[in-house]
Amino acid sequence: MTPDRLSSIFSALADPTRRSILERLAFGECSVTELAEPFRMSLPAVSKHLKVLERAGLIVRGREAQWRPCRLEAGPLRDLSAWLETYRRFWDGSLDRLDGYLQQLKKGDLHDRKT
Amino acid sequence: MTAKPKDQLISDISESKTDMTPTMTIVRIFDAPRPLVFEAFTNPKHLVRWWGPHGFTTPLCEVDVRPGGAIHIDMRGPDGTIYTMKGAYHEVVEFERLSWSNVVDDTEGKPSFELLQIIALNDHEGKTKLTLQVYVLMSTPQAAESLGGMETGWSQSLERLKGLLFTL
Repeated sequence: MTPDRLSSIFSALADPTRRSILERLAFGECSVTELAEPFRMSLPAVSKHLKVLERAGLIVRGREAQWRPCRLEAGPLRDLSAWLETYRRFWDGSLDRLDGYLQQLKKGDLHDRKT
Repeated sequence: MTAKPKDQLISDISESKTDMTPTMTIVRIFDAPRPLVFEAFTNPKHLVRWWGPHGFTTPLCEVDVRPGGAIHIDMRGPDGTIYTMKGAYHEVVEFERLSWSNVVDDTEGKPSFELLQIIALNDHEGKTKLTLQVYVLMSTPQAAESLGGMETGWSQSLERLKGLLFTL
């Protein structure tokens, strides 16, 4: 996954309203009106959030003119957690090596002190 | 690529931003004194010996360990790919705490997002407890407006979402 894509997903997830929208959509598709209800928000305000989510590829919207249901697109979130897993592996691997290296350093220290 | 966005970004990271929820937390206990662990993180001679997972090497390591000082580490993967980490230190408290941020560039080489890494060292039953926290900070213009929202932490929501995704 490219940093550009990651960046737009991070941005989209940075807003609590958008995260709530995604959580709601995880239970199934919804109309914009249904999504707006729990947020006491105007439809245009909700639409703005949906556009950000759509641009980030996190949701897709139906093409029916009247009822454009929003659906969660799971792929980008999976990609995001895959990226975070890779990053965690970098640190886990590095810290494993650090552990071994510190033992070597400690032995070296003791040796220095004896001489 | 201009240096301006990076400089701006780094000055924007105030202490208050770090009460966001970290994207990643790793805790490790090392059987070594705190000063030695700190030394391993701040002396390039030592850094090159352990930086990167097994099978990786570190052909370049330049660290100017003081607030605002530069950090540049190149890591070379087993297949020869070079992974560059470039950024700046924020907090340097000897033997206790170290933080730096590095910008992840997009495919056009423009800053895309930024990672803030915080290392905290504590004494723990004669050993050293290391806590690593990684935060994602934004650098794109559309992201700047939403930085405030980060304070509630999206990583917990992400965890919840991941749980829900299994039901799809």
